[in-house]
Amino acid sequence: MTAERFRTIISTVLIVGVTLSGVLVAAGFAGSFAVGWDGSLGGPLTGLPAGGPASGLDPTDFGFLWSSLVALRPVGLAQAGLVVLIATPVVRVAASVVAFALEGDRVYAGITLVVLAILLASLFVLR
Amino acid sequence: MTVGADLGILVVSLVAGVIGALAGVGGGILVVPSLTILFGVDIHLAVGASIVSVIATSSGAAAAYVRDRITDMRVGMFLELATTTGAVCGALLAAVVAPAFLYVLLGAVLLFSAVQQVLRLGEELPPAIEPSPVAARLRLVGSYPDARLGTEVPYAARRVPLGFALMAGAGVVSGLLGIGSGALKVLAMDGAMRLPMKVSSATSNFMIGVTAAASAGIYLARGDVDPRIAAPVALGVLTGATIGARVLPRLANRHVRIVFLPVLLAIGLETLARGLGIGL
Repeated sequence: MTAERFRTIISTVLIVGVTLSGVLVAAGFAGSFAVGWDGSLGGPLTGLPAGGPASGLDPTDFGFLWSSLVALRPVGLAQAGLVVLIATPVVRVAASVVAFALEGDRVYAGITLVVLAILLASLFVLR
Repeated sequence: MTVGADLGILVVSLVAGVIGALAGVGGGILVVPSLTILFGVDIHLAVGASIVSVIATSSGAAAAYVRDRITDMRVGMFLELATTTGAVCGALLAAVVAPAFLYVLLGAVLLFSAVQQVLRLGEELPPAIEPSPVAARLRLVGSYPDARLGTEVPYAARRVPLGFALMAGAGVVSGLLGIGSGALKVLAMDGAMRLPMKVSSATSNFMIGVTAAASAGIYLARGDVDPRIAAPVALGVLTGATIGARVLPRLANRHVRIVFLPVLLAIGLETLARGLGIGL
């Protein structure tokens, strides 16, 4: 693994994360002008509470993310984009562990692994 | 939100993204007051959107900085060890320490550092040194291509233990208060470790996304991330950070410091005022 490849891997992870997130958030934002945040751009409304998208789901509640995304609700598209955005640095750290390991740099693979562990613990355990 | 407010948030966030990408900070100092004062957004939702803006600034600019070899990934990961550990300790200490005292302390540190920054305004590159044994063993040495100077600029981190300790302290403070993390990171790399300003800024930019991601889950679970506000913020900041990342390589190191200084002053004053109970 050359330093060049290393940088390509990390910068590709970032570009993919940012692009995917940007497209989803932009679709949600643009859709909100067309049908409103709580509307639907035509996807199936399965898994959403009775009363449909107009039932006044709290936009800060990410619990209906998947159903809202499938239903192509602007709020669901934006939520999915924001989750991808928040996940991008975490994936980048995980990719760095692999990249340092492939480079044979055990010290930095170890350091990065500890950072990843702390990061995951703070996301999922320390509440 | 009206269409006008939506577009307003988009524009303010774009500016925050450009400044954040250049100065190595998350842009919260611009995003939070703009949202609350100009657009009447609830402070909790404004802070939630600002966490999103930090991650967007970081990831949006870092792709270019990593590719252009301005980010030092080893320095970044090494110091990230200090900040994430510090941030967890900070979160656990939250019940024990009085925040007012911490705000005053952080504000004083930032303003004191601003004086140091003024004294360095004319400096283009830190003086060259032989790397210490610690810096050499941890490979905290490198070089970056300076498009402005047209040469490859070598550098070596000095005072590594001090830089690490400062970053751990920065982690504790930002874990407790949720602020100032980017400014403190730039100061640790530029002020203590004496890395070139562009490397300090780009590496800070690289790191703040990880620090913010660690607390983003908590804000999300608490219901502080409202897509109706966070979406235009994320779009504006992503665009701004992409523009900023194209500009930085062409700037001189001293220009980056000129962008950083007012940001540092603003964060320092705001933090001090909050500690002293003065609402801004």
